[in-house]
This record gives sequence, C-alpha cells and structure tokens, in this order.
Amino acid sequence: MLKDITFGQYYESGSVIHRIDARVKILLLILIIVFIFISSNLFSILFSALGIFTIILVSGVPFSLYAKNLKAILPILLITFVINLFYGEGEALISFWKLSITTGGLYRAFYMSLRIALLIFISSALTYTTTPNDLTYAIEKLLSPLKYVGLQNAVHTLAMMMTIVLRFIPILVEETQKIMNAQKARGADLENGSLMRRIKALIPILIPLLISSIRHAYELAEAMECRCYTGGEGRTRMKQMRLTKIDFYSSCFAVLGCLIVILLNIIF
Amino acid sequence: MDNIIEVKNVTYEYVDDNLTHSAVKDFSLAVERGSFTVILGHNGSGKSTLAKLINGLYKPTKGDVIVDGMNTKDELYETEIKRRVGMVFQNPDNQLIASIVEEDVAFGPENLGIEPDEIRKRVDESLKAVDMYEFVKSTPHHLSGGQKQRIAIAGIIAMQPDCIVLDEPTAMLDPKGRKEIINTILKLNREKNITVILITHYMEEAENADRVVVMNDGAIIADSTPKRIFSDVEMLKSVGLDVPQTTELLYSLKKNGFDVSTDVISIKEAADAIEKALHLEEK
Amino acid sequence: MSLLKVNNLSYAYSGATPFFNDALKDVSFNIEKGEIIGIIGHTGSGKSTLVQHLNGLLKPNSGEILLENENIWDNPKEIRKVRSKVGLVFQYPEYQLFEETVYKDIAFGPKNMGIADDEIDKCVRDICAIIGVKEEHFNKSPFDLSGGEKRRVAIAGVMAMKPEIIIFDEPTSGLDPKGREDIIEIIKNYREATGATVIIISHNMEDMAVIADKLLVLNKGKLEMFDTVEKIFSNRVKLNSIGLDVPIVTRVFDELIKRGVDVEKDIFTVEKAIESLKKVKAGDSNA
Repeated sequence: MLKDITFGQYYESGSVIHRIDARVKILLLILIIVFIFISSNLFSILFSALGIFTIILVSGVPFSLYAKNLKAILPILLITFVINLFYGEGEALISFWKLSITTGGLYRAFYMSLRIALLIFISSALTYTTTPNDLTYAIEKLLSPLKYVGLQNAVHTLAMMMTIVLRFIPILVEETQKIMNAQKARGADLENGSLMRRIKALIPILIPLLISSIRHAYELAEAMECRCYTGGEGRTRMKQMRLTKIDFYSSCFAVLGCLIVILLNIIF
Repeated sequence: MDNIIEVKNVTYEYVDDNLTHSAVKDFSLAVERGSFTVILGHNGSGKSTLAKLINGLYKPTKGDVIVDGMNTKDELYETEIKRRVGMVFQNPDNQLIASIVEEDVAFGPENLGIEPDEIRKRVDESLKAVDMYEFVKSTPHHLSGGQKQRIAIAGIIAMQPDCIVLDEPTAMLDPKGRKEIINTILKLNREKNITVILITHYMEEAENADRVVVMNDGAIIADSTPKRIFSDVEMLKSVGLDVPQTTELLYSLKKNGFDVSTDVISIKEAADAIEKALHLEEK
Repeated sequence: MSLLKVNNLSYAYSGATPFFNDALKDVSFNIEKGEIIGIIGHTGSGKSTLVQHLNGLLKPNSGEILLENENIWDNPKEIRKVRSKVGLVFQYPEYQLFEETVYKDIAFGPKNMGIADDEIDKCVRDICAIIGVKEEHFNKSPFDLSGGEKRRVAIAGVMAMKPEIIIFDEPTSGLDPKGREDIIEIIKNYREATGATVIIISHNMEDMAVIADKLLVLNKGKLEMFDTVEKIFSNRVKLNSIGLDVPIVTRVFDELIKRGVDVEKDIFTVEKAIESLKKVKAGDSNA
C-alpha cells in the first residue's frame, strides 16, 4: 500500500552500527568514500571491499536490501564498466574496429565498477542504520559552525524543512492515491491515450493535491505558532547527541582501515 | 471569582470580496479557572474565530481579550499567552510536526527553550497523561485518528498550559476516537485542573461540562448548564444544532402528551424519566 | 436476479502493517435492485476496501464481483464502464474538486463517459435540479463555496454519471448537523428520482436505523452479518461483542425492559418508540 512508504530506508536490527552517533556516521561515511577512491591498486581496493563487507555484516541488515539498492543503479554500473573497458593502456586482448580491450582497460573497468558498488553499499549502510530524524538532526549539528558566518537561520530552517518533509511525504503520498482513486471513480482515464492526453489527465489530480498541500501548510503554520514556534532562536533540543565509547572505537577502526589502505597503496 | 480568560466587547472583522464581515460581534465571555466550558454552534457561527481570539492568534478589531491579566494585543506577552492557552485543532495530521511521537511532543517545550532533561520528563509525563506512553517511539502516520489527536494534546500539555482550547477536536474521528478524546479531556480537567474550552457541534460531548455556551451568528444566544441547554430543544434546532437521541425522544414524548422532563442526557436518566411518566399514568 | 453479487472476495494489501490491515477475507453477499444497504464496522474493518472493489478500483486477490451477472473483471479494458454504473463517493469528496467552475466539475464524470455535449448538459442540469445545486452557482469556482455546498457539488459530480448503484463512504463526516441533514436529503432525493441502489458506510447507527433497509456488518475483514436492519439490531449480543452499538433509543428501551417495564423489545427509531409508548399508555388506562 502506498501509505506505508516511508521516506528513507531505516531498518531496525539494533546492531552496534545503529548505535554510532549519526554525526560520527556521516563523517566516517565521507572519510570512507574518500578512501574508496584513494585505493589505487588491487590490494588496497580489495581491502576496502573487505572492510565495507565487514560493516555490512555487522549492521545486521539483510544483504538482499543492499543488493536492491545496487540493482537500482545497475545500468550506471554497466555503462561505467563498458566505457572504462576501452580506456586502458597496455596489451590488447581483443580488438575490433578502432577499439580494443586491454588488460589495463579491464583492470580499470573492474576498479571503477567496484568503487561505485562499494560507494552504494557504504551509503546504504548509513541510511539503513540511521533514522531519517537522526540524520536530519546530525546534518543540522554538523552544519552548525555556519552560524559563525551568520547563517544560523538558514541551518535551522533547512533542518525544520527536512523534518516537515519527512512527516508529510507519507501523508501526501496517501492523499495522491486517494485523489487518483476518486477521479478514477469519476471515469478519469489515467492509463491510456497519447502522452499529451496523459499529461492532461494529471490536472484533476495535481490541482486537488496542490490545494490540499496549501491547506496543510496553512494549518500547520498556525499549529506551530500555537506551540510557541518563533524560529530557531532560543530553541533547545530534547535529544542531546552524546559521543560514547562506541563512537570512539568505531572511529579508531575506520582510521586504522584508512591507514592500511594508504600503506597498501605505497607498498604495492 | 477567578477568571482565566476575559473576552470584553470583542468584535472581529475580516475582509472578503471587498466586503467587511464580522465573525464575532460585541462579544463578551469570562471563563473561570479550572472550569470545563463547551461552546456549541454550527459552522460559521463564529466559534472557531473565538478560539483563535482567545490565544492571540487573531487580534480583536474592537475590544480586548485578557488572558491571566495579559492583553493579547500586547506583543510582549505573545508567546506567554500561547503557552498558557494551548490550542488543539480539528485535523490531527496538520498539528504534528515530527515523524516520531516523542519528538513531536517535545516540539513545544523546545520552542520555549526548556532544558533537555526537563523536556524529557515533560514528554513522558504528557504521553502518560493521554495514555499514549507506549507509542513514545512510534510514527504518527501509523496511528489511528484518535491516537494522533491524543498526541497533539500531549504536545500541548508538555508546555504546561493553564487552559486548553480545543476546536472541534473530534470532527474527523470515528466514534471510538471521539470517546478517547472526550475521556482524555475530562481527565485533564478533573485530574490536572486544566481549564478546558471545548468547541464542538456534537451535543453529546457537552454532557459532562460545567457550562455550555451556544453561539449563533457571532453572538451568545444561550449560556447555562448542560441540562438546561439540552432541555431547550427548540432553541437548539433553531440554530441548526441537533440534540442527543435521548433528549429527542423525551422531547417528542412531551409533545405527544407524556408528562416527562426533557432535561436528560444519559440513557439511564432517559429510562428514569420514561419509567416515572408511565408509573404516574398508572396512578 | 440480483443486481450485484460478491462471491468469496478476498483481498490483502501488499506491505500491510498491523495498524492498517484493511484486508478482506472470503466475503460473499447479494444486493437486489433498489435496496438501501448500510455498511457498518470499525475503522480498519475493511469497509473502504470492500466498496473500492465494487466499482473495480481494486482487483480481488480471489473471488469475483458480478454486476448484472457479469464478472466486472471479464474485460479489464471496460472497467471504466463499471465505474459509471457503480458510482463511488469517497469520504471528504470535496477534496477531489479541481475545475474552474461548478458546472465543469460536475460535467467531468459524464464527459469521461464519452457522451455527446448536449447529453452532458442534460445530465448536469438534471442532477442539479434533483439535489439542489443552484444554477446561479454554475459559473462560480467550486472553491468559493461553503464546506457543505462543496460537498454537495462533489456528490453531484458522481451522481451526474447516473450510476445504478451509488456508494457513499461516510458521506456526512466533518459536517455540522445542518450539513449532515442536507446530505441525507440529497441521498434520499437521488434515490427517489432514479430508483438507484444505495450503499452507505456510516458510524451513525441512529441514521442507519432510519435510512437503511439492510445492514452489512464487517469485522476484521470478515462479513459478520448481512440482514435487515431489524434482524441486525435485534442481535445486540453479537453487535456488542464486536464493539458496535445499537441506536441510543434502543438502548433506552433495553434499559426499561431490564427494569421490568413492559415495552416492546425491538425499537430502533424515535418514531417507533413514541408509537410503542403510546400503546403502553393506552393499555394502562384501559386496564
């Protein structure tokens, strides 16, 4: 059912990865992504892969869910693979027309596709183990230094917008479904006809949806005002993010992994 | 007498299609601290405007609204008045801001700049007060209408208001949800001594009120105890309200020559009245 | 011959959660032409899911829906014809309004049926005359109307297709007493004028007792009972066991009987109650 779609893809398994502070997780994600691209030889990239698969294993999220995200970008992966195949130097393995596949190209294609796959896996690990709310809050916190350059309102507004979006996406999805059904019950034909006709057929859905969104926004604004909302200034937060030992150890592991990648890069 | 709210000769005008309309006209009402007042009226009787005037969301065109000695026109008290007079609206979905119950309830106290530990305490207490503590980590989207509305009420209680104004809080709910809300409101009034102003067009919800005010066309047309108000079936019908079926039954009986009192609401009282009338006949 | 026949209908939403499990389990019933059917049950009992099957918005996982003895899914391409024969008015139908004028919005349904323009005009004018949408409103924006009027126009939009069966999903929710009365009046007028079969989902037992011929009771996706209003309301034990109430006046009479007052047992409307009590009174004075 459409109404059960939730924004983000949090999966509860209670693993140690789930318990890492969201801020730390975002920073580590950036670090790991950098190192996936720094891994320049077979050994270092295989080590990165090993590290990331360990994270996946520890996260307790079924591998099929990770695979699902990979599948979504499979075309990009294939295109990357094929293009890189022809951009290598070295001994030609197969040649036809003006193109040739070389051992260098094969390596390159392999590296690039593996990097993209790892990138997807590690990003999925973040979204599967962190609630959208925690992510929002972490982003707000991480961006908070911007207040020293006079952007405190922008940061707060961004975070508040994300919170409201998270809350209203399922509501609007459900509403869209209801309006579609109501118009179909009045004989609206949404499936057949030329492209123009189909675009025109969306009007009876988009207009009520727009009106309803405006109504939501207006009523929500009044309700927020009634709950003493006056913007970001002077607000406190119930949830305080506190760094724990888990955050310290996980950071150590990540840094250690990165050092090994550098070492492997130098040695081989 | 200790009045928490005093509406003094208030007129509220708005402009629509270049015409000036007045939603409430020279309106006066005082609400006693700790009381449970029901305001009845059909759509367009001005009852929702009154609600928004009471917590300063709207400012009177003429006259004054005084909350605990503070005039809603005074910008200095803007936030404090909203904290003391909490508002609950009809559509629960449009009042909940966060996608986790506890974070939503925390929204009000967070806006007030309260210390995190204290917010935590208030959130838990408020959720317990509306019997929703077990849903502390739930997503509002997965709750029923009545449950969502109770979360909205918890979000208001967490600001520790003296008074709660509820603007047709049950209009979008099923009978089960309506009962949940009415019971919650009663509990808050009786146990936490919070002043309650319930705006509704469901007569049954006025059964347990201390006082019922009937509005029509921006003015008060009746102001009395629930029983007195209910017994005046003709007046209620004349302003487009209907009465509980118990009252309707006794009113019809009276019209048909039975000697019954019509100031009853509950099923038990109705049975009492009919039994009495039949016994009288026997004698 | 039954107009609408539902045989062993089962349906489950994919990805249903414990909170929203509006599934249907092996539901079968028959509706005759011209009947007024009330559907009662708790939120989540499958009422909305059921009615969306009757006009082909949802396709059953198993079982069939026969409209005039024809399976509505025999020819999936023609499902839109079923939707014009079985009109469905959703809860809060005013949220579906979208046209610039009241007239155009009401004409949307007939237009989708692909009938000629002058025929469409007739459909719109006929229905507006029946249910009281004033001609002076035709060129107004539907968004400028009051809440009750908006709903009247939205309902007219479905009725303008002249459905033989018309279904209302909680048609009075969110309205004040005057608005509720108006909507009930509209439904009655439409039925009188067209002889259509009417299906109403409602929580209001008092209204049901007055309007409906038969009641269909759903509980957790199963059909608990389907019978005349009298039979359903006299089975209080079963109704109460699934948490549904009988009309208030019935509960008053039950209370009287419990106290040993000699009144009739199955009274569901105020009118009947008065009649019955008059008889008791007359009987007493005769004795």
